[in-house]
Amino acid sequence: MLLSSLPLSNLITELAIVTKQRHIHSFQDSTAAHYMFQDDPYLTPRTSAEFKLYSLSQESGRLAAKHIVNTNPKFFQKDFAEPHIPCLMPETMEPRIEDVSEAALLERIMLRKVKAAVDMYDQLLQAGTTVSTDATNDLLDLICLYGDHDPLQDDKPEVEDVEERKASESHRLGEDSLENNNAERIFNLLPERDTRAYSALIRGMVKVADVHIFNALISAATEVREKYNEKWDLIVELLKQMNEQKVKPNLLTFNAVLKALRRCGSLARAQSLHTLSEMKALGITPSLASFHHVLGIFYKTGNYLMLTEVAGRSFVPQDPDDVYFFSTAMRICLETKDLESAYRVHNLLNVGENWRLLGDSFQQSIYYGRFFNLLCMMEHIDVVLKWYNELIPSLFYPNPQGMKDLLQALDTDNRLDMIPQIWKGDSAFISLAQDIRRMGHDNKSDLVEELLSLMARDRHSPEVQESFAACALDVRSLYKQGQVAKVALEWTTASMTNITTILLAAQKTKQAWDMLNIFKTKNRVPSEELIDEFLVRIKDGQQAVELVQISASFCLPSTPNLAQRVLQEFELSEEQRYGGGGQKSICIPGSYLLFIHVLVFSF
Amino acid sequence: MNTLARVGTSICTNPETRALHVTASCCKNRAARIRVGKGDRPLTYEQALHPHHIGHRKGWLSQHTSNLMGENGAADRTVEDVFVRRFIFGTFHNCLANEIVIKRRGNMLVVCALMLQRLPPQKFYFLIGYTETLLSHFYKCPVKMEVQTLGDKAVYKYL
Repeated sequence: MLLSSLPLSNLITELAIVTKQRHIHSFQDSTAAHYMFQDDPYLTPRTSAEFKLYSLSQESGRLAAKHIVNTNPKFFQKDFAEPHIPCLMPETMEPRIEDVSEAALLERIMLRKVKAAVDMYDQLLQAGTTVSTDATNDLLDLICLYGDHDPLQDDKPEVEDVEERKASESHRLGEDSLENNNAERIFNLLPERDTRAYSALIRGMVKVADVHIFNALISAATEVREKYNEKWDLIVELLKQMNEQKVKPNLLTFNAVLKALRRCGSLARAQSLHTLSEMKALGITPSLASFHHVLGIFYKTGNYLMLTEVAGRSFVPQDPDDVYFFSTAMRICLETKDLESAYRVHNLLNVGENWRLLGDSFQQSIYYGRFFNLLCMMEHIDVVLKWYNELIPSLFYPNPQGMKDLLQALDTDNRLDMIPQIWKGDSAFISLAQDIRRMGHDNKSDLVEELLSLMARDRHSPEVQESFAACALDVRSLYKQGQVAKVALEWTTASMTNITTILLAAQKTKQAWDMLNIFKTKNRVPSEELIDEFLVRIKDGQQAVELVQISASFCLPSTPNLAQRVLQEFELSEEQRYGGGGQKSICIPGSYLLFIHVLVFSF
Repeated sequence: MNTLARVGTSICTNPETRALHVTASCCKNRAARIRVGKGDRPLTYEQALHPHHIGHRKGWLSQHTSNLMGENGAADRTVEDVFVRRFIFGTFHNCLANEIVIKRRGNMLVVCALMLQRLPPQKFYFLIGYTETLLSHFYKCPVKMEVQTLGDKAVYKYL
C-alpha cells in the first residue's frame, strides 16, 4: 500500500469516519430550483444555459440600480434606519467633511485621495493643531504606496490607450525620486520618528522585491526552461534568492512551486512530498489548491492519501486554484471507478463551508456530471434514481452524455419501464422523456434515437407498452415542423421504424398507418420485418390489400410472398382479389423488368 | 390613482385664513367602484368587489402593523406604499395582472406581484434585481419581490 511508504503517513492524524451518508447540504432543498430564482414555472431555469442567463441578468439589474444610486446620491441621503445601515447608503467617492480637522484627514486617507490628504495635512499644521502620530504614519504609508500620485479612478474616462498609459507610468516611476519630496518633507516635520515611519519611507523609496514578485517568478519558471531538471533547478535558485533576501514564503509560494512541479514530470513526486513537508514544518496549512496540484502529480494513486488528509476539515478559499480541487478529485474517482472515494469526496462538501469551494456554476456542473456518471456506471438503479431526484434539477442540469449514461444504466438493470412516466401518477418516479424534453435536449437527435431504440427493442407488459406508445407519439411531434423557434429533428429510417414498432406493439394500428404514410412522404423504405409485423396485426381484408399495395409501391422484394399470404389468410372479395392480383404483376422487382425488356429488345 | 391634496403653506401657518381644497374630490360612494356598463369590460376580482367588501370578501392590499392601537407611522407607511405601487407600475410596464400586495415583516418589505408573461424571463429578472436594489437603497430596508406569472389576466366578471 502506497500510504505506508510515504513520509506523510506519520502526519496523518485524523481518522476519517466513513459513513455512507447520502444526504446533501442541509440547507439545500432538492425539490426546488436555486433560491435566487422566483418560485414560478415560467421563471424557473430548466437548463444550465438558462440558469446562467437568469442569474446574470438579475445581477446586472442590481448593478444598474447601484449605478443609479451612486450617480444620484441626493435622493438617497435620507437615513431613517436605526441602527445605521452603511451598505444601503450611496457610495461616496468625494470627501464629505469639509472643515480642517483630523477626521477630514483620515477620511481623505481612506478614500485614497493623496493630494487632498497632503493638502489637508499642511492646512492642519498651518492652523497649529497637532496631528497624532498614527494619522501621520497613515499619511506616510499612503504617500509611499501611491507614489505621491492619485490612483486612477474608475469613473474617470480612460481616454489614453494602453501604450500611452504604460509610457506615463514608466515616466512616473522615473520621477518617483523627485516626487518623494513630499514624503521626505512630512517625514522631516515629524516630531518623533518611530520605526513605522522609517519603514514606510524606505518602502516608498526602494522598490523591494517581495513575496508576490517571487510567486509570479516561480509560476513563470516552467515557461522559460525546457527540460524537467532545468525547470526544477531554476525554481530552487529562485527559492535560494528568496531566502537570501529574507523574504518569507507564504501559501501562494508553495502552491506556485507545486503547480510548477506538475510540469516537471518524473521528479515531481518526490519533490512535491518534500514541499508538503516543508509547508507543514513552516506551519503553513496547505489549502485545497495544494492538494489539487498534488493530485495532478500523483494522478491515480494520490486519492487515498488526499482523502485522509482533507477528511473532516473545513477549508477557506485562499488560492484561486482551490476551486479545481473537487472536480479533479471526482475525475480521478471516475477514472479509477472508485465509488467509495467518490462518496468521501462528496461528504467533504458537507463539512463546514466547503460548499463554497465548488466554484462557479460551470465547475459545479463538471463536478456533478462526473459524480452522476460514476453513479450510473457503478451503482444499483434504485440508488441512481434516488440520487437523480436529489441532484436534478436543483443542483445541476445534465448534458446529453449524462442522459445517455442514465439510459444505459436503466437498460443494464432492465428497468426500461421507467422511461416514460408511469402515467397512473406515481410521482416517486421520474419522467425521463419529459425531463429530456424540459431540459432542451430534445434537439439532440442521437439521444432521442437512443431512447426510441431502447423502447422498441424488447417486449414488455401491456401497461408499459401503452406508456411507451404515448411517449413515442410525443417524440413524433418533435419531428414535425411548426414549433416556433425550434429546429425540428430530421426523420431517419431507424427512428421511424422504431416509432412504428412501438405503436404496433401497443395495438395502436391507426397511428401506425399514419407512420407508413410518413414513410412515403419522406422517401424512406420500411423494412420487411415491419411489414410482416403489420400483417400480424391486421384483421381486416381491405387493410391487408392496402398493405400489399404499399409494399408494392416501395418495390420490396418480399411483396409476392406477402401477396400470397394475404390471399391465403384473409377472406377477400372478388375485386380485392383482382386488385391484389393486378398488383402482383407490378410488384415484380425492377431488375427483372429490365431483364425482360432487354430480352424483348434483343430479339 | 388619487393625487394627494396640497395645501399652501402660507395658509397653514396663518391662523386667520381658511383652507382651500385644490384637488379633485372623490366622494366615498364613488371611490374604487367600477359601475355597471355595457358588459364588455373585463374585471378582476379585486376590481369587481367594492371597498365595503374589504374584510368580508376581499383581503387587504397593504399589510403592516401601524394601524393597530398604540402604533405609530401609519401615514408614513401609506406614503411609502403609494410610491412603491407607482414605481412597480412604471417599471414593469404593462405586465401587471393585478394590484400588488405589500407586506411588511420585521424590517423587510415584501412586494408580491402577479405578472403577465409579456416579457422573456431574463428581462423579468433584470427588472426584479433592479427594483429590489433600488427600493432597498431608497427605504434603507431589505426589499424582496415575490412574483407569480400568468398567461393573461384572470377575469372574474364582465361589466
